[in-house]
Amino acid sequence: MALLEVRDLSFAYPNASQKALDKVSFALARGEFVTLCGATGSGKSTLMRLLKKELQPLGSLEGEILYDGKKLGDLDGALSASRIGYVCQRPDEQIVCDKVWHELAFGLENLGFENGLIRRRVSEIACYFGMEPWFEEKVSALSGGQKQMLNLASVMVMQPEVLLLDEPTAQLDPIQASEFINTVRRLNREFGLTVLLIEHRLEEALERSDRLMALKNGRLIACAPVREALKEIGRQEDMVPYLPAATRLCLKLGLKDACPVSAKEGRALIEKRYKRDVTALPGEDRAPSGKPALEFENVYFRYSRDGKDALKDLSFRAYENEVFCLLGGNGSGKTTLLSCAAGLRRPYAGTVRVFGKKIRQYKNQSLYDGCVALLPQDVQTVFLRATVREELEGACLQDLPFDLSGLMDRHPYDLSGGQQQLVALARALMAKPRLLLMDEPTKGLDPETKLRFEDVVRSLKARGIAVLCVTHDVEFAARVSDRCAMMFMGEVTSCDLPRRFFAGNSFYTTSFSRMTRGLYDLVATLEDAEEILRINGERDKACS
Amino acid sequence: MSALDRYDPVAVTVYFMAAAGVAMFSMHPVILALSLFGALSLYFTRNGSNGMRSHALYLLLFLVMALINPLTHHNGVTVLFVLNDNPVTLEACLYGLAASGMIVSVLYWFRSYSQIMTSDKLLYLFGRFSPRLALTVSMALRYIPLFKQQAKKVNDAQKALGLYKDDNPIDAMRGGMRVFSVMVTWALENGVITADSMAARGYGVTRRSFFARRCFGAKDACLTASALVLALFSVWPAAFGGVRFVFYPALSAVPCDGMSIASYLCYGVLTLLPSLIEWGDELKWRFLKSGI
Repeated sequence: MALLEVRDLSFAYPNASQKALDKVSFALARGEFVTLCGATGSGKSTLMRLLKKELQPLGSLEGEILYDGKKLGDLDGALSASRIGYVCQRPDEQIVCDKVWHELAFGLENLGFENGLIRRRVSEIACYFGMEPWFEEKVSALSGGQKQMLNLASVMVMQPEVLLLDEPTAQLDPIQASEFINTVRRLNREFGLTVLLIEHRLEEALERSDRLMALKNGRLIACAPVREALKEIGRQEDMVPYLPAATRLCLKLGLKDACPVSAKEGRALIEKRYKRDVTALPGEDRAPSGKPALEFENVYFRYSRDGKDALKDLSFRAYENEVFCLLGGNGSGKTTLLSCAAGLRRPYAGTVRVFGKKIRQYKNQSLYDGCVALLPQDVQTVFLRATVREELEGACLQDLPFDLSGLMDRHPYDLSGGQQQLVALARALMAKPRLLLMDEPTKGLDPETKLRFEDVVRSLKARGIAVLCVTHDVEFAARVSDRCAMMFMGEVTSCDLPRRFFAGNSFYTTSFSRMTRGLYDLVATLEDAEEILRINGERDKACS
Repeated sequence: MSALDRYDPVAVTVYFMAAAGVAMFSMHPVILALSLFGALSLYFTRNGSNGMRSHALYLLLFLVMALINPLTHHNGVTVLFVLNDNPVTLEACLYGLAASGMIVSVLYWFRSYSQIMTSDKLLYLFGRFSPRLALTVSMALRYIPLFKQQAKKVNDAQKALGLYKDDNPIDAMRGGMRVFSVMVTWALENGVITADSMAARGYGVTRRSFFARRCFGAKDACLTASALVLALFSVWPAAFGGVRFVFYPALSAVPCDGMSIASYLCYGVLTLLPSLIEWGDELKWRFLKSGI
């Protein structure tokens, strides 16, 4: 029997002209792992919140939601709180208490459990999640990944039967994200926990998923076992960016019959079906030209006198007419580098030059007037006013490479992540910077929005703005950058043109590079992969 | 982790209230001297020679307070000398010394107390009376640093986007106010997510319980009982007119009898109790180590 069942569910927010959900029906069987994808604003989060009694939004609801055969609304409060677990996108704001152990106990305290039972459950869950080293810590001392793991653990401690995860990895870096997804997979495998997961990085989620659902404008356009659903979704042009890399490549090449999900399957397919006469694309050999926009020369920085060096003998140059991407793991010093470049922190040794002038010689905030602007990771920190219009007062909106006219009277906090990113970018461009620094600009964006953002970055470059971008997103870096560099432990360890950079890396690289490694050289993006495979052509059927 | 950290917060609180309480309501030089000695000995036992600078600050405080009294109060019969037509008396000097000794000793008791009572233990203390209050405290402890952190982030972001046009204080203040006002919006906005997260985990469904990670054991009972008994015996004679010391107009004390000696002894043991516990623990470790 289905554990959670949704029948003809329609939902509209008050005063909204369109329905947020339109006749959605599906059922989750006990122990199933289902992934849900869709664009921002397609109704994913609305659906998720409707499934959790305590979080149901106000509005007109039709149809019914059944939990274990009973109406969700009739469920007893304590039962509903413990049986249906919910984790959302932002790791920080979901945490209630100041210490890790107390946060774990929070839900059990709410249910009025007695001390002995809480102690037992909390210790058990901390052990299962491997939280012993930071069990006594303050939550403010944890990394984003640890915070999200804590959120998951403090839901799991209540022993839920269904886990609803609303883009839980959107704010995490790829390594933390994959650790999180793996933990969820393990919970599903070992305890038969029923999981409904909203996720943009489908590759990893799909490996374990039993089914895939896709929402578009409030309608369920696919709800089937993974491969069937992928084919279904692939028929809709605008949904293609959501698919895993290997599936997208097949669609591009027009291979209707195959549907690889993982890089491994994609690779096997390429190896079997394509010739290998030409192994490399016609080379690109650009040397950076123009004047340097930003120079770091043997820069050292640390946060406290007794601390470790966050930047260590760091030297690199980014030039005027290029998009420069800095990649690297968490804590490799990427964000620190940006704050040094923006003059927010001062290195204790070495020099930072912006357009040939030492950063200390920019007096009276002149660095931020027509020279440098920094778009921070958390774009909410950019907004100070109640509407977008006030926020962008005095900006030339016609000159922007994107259109914001529909958003002018809304509160910046009410916008979607992608829209916030664009408004923040418009705000950063108001000071007419010649060098734009961006910290993780694609974090939390859906794939479609990400593609649009890539075009925005390219058009900024076309206007003569130098762009330095710190990112975890290898696919994004491969597509927009002119040069990429890798940071490790506060140093730049390699720096090259994107194709050579990603061909040279074996682990920190794009899916397309992984799929073609050893078969073809210098492939970084979907377009590269498509091109080289088209040049080579398919093997004759007789041979294969 | 030293020995006192392992005691139950209730026992620790009772002990410190007793030790500091007796000192607070007494102006007897012997009691105050014992209190000061006990408080200092505990602090030095726990911290060794760390933070010598802070001691200098307390010494200064002690001296200033001791000096202010004779300069402002001119009661007393024994005039030492005359300053600006005002007599400086021996009684006022001694009273000043006693009062500042009392204040500094109480401050040192509370320094040690706040070291032992970490936020976890405070929470446990509140949690016994009201789980709700404990949650409020815990949330405050979580939100104040989060708020500060976010304010720093917003300020950095704004600086790098050119909010501050010039390096002058008026501009800085205007910018700071803008940042503060948006922080209020941010707090409200993100409070909604926290409220959701609380509701999702059943906040308000039934009466909350409180997760206490320790329990009141025999040694805690021992500490509590001995603290109460010793404090009681220390103040007992005072109730019958013993152990009294008068500064003004002339120094006079109730003659020393058996009762008052017992009282001093009891208070002496009370004030040295935590130091003894720490020393005992230290000795035990030495002994254990030599056995390894």
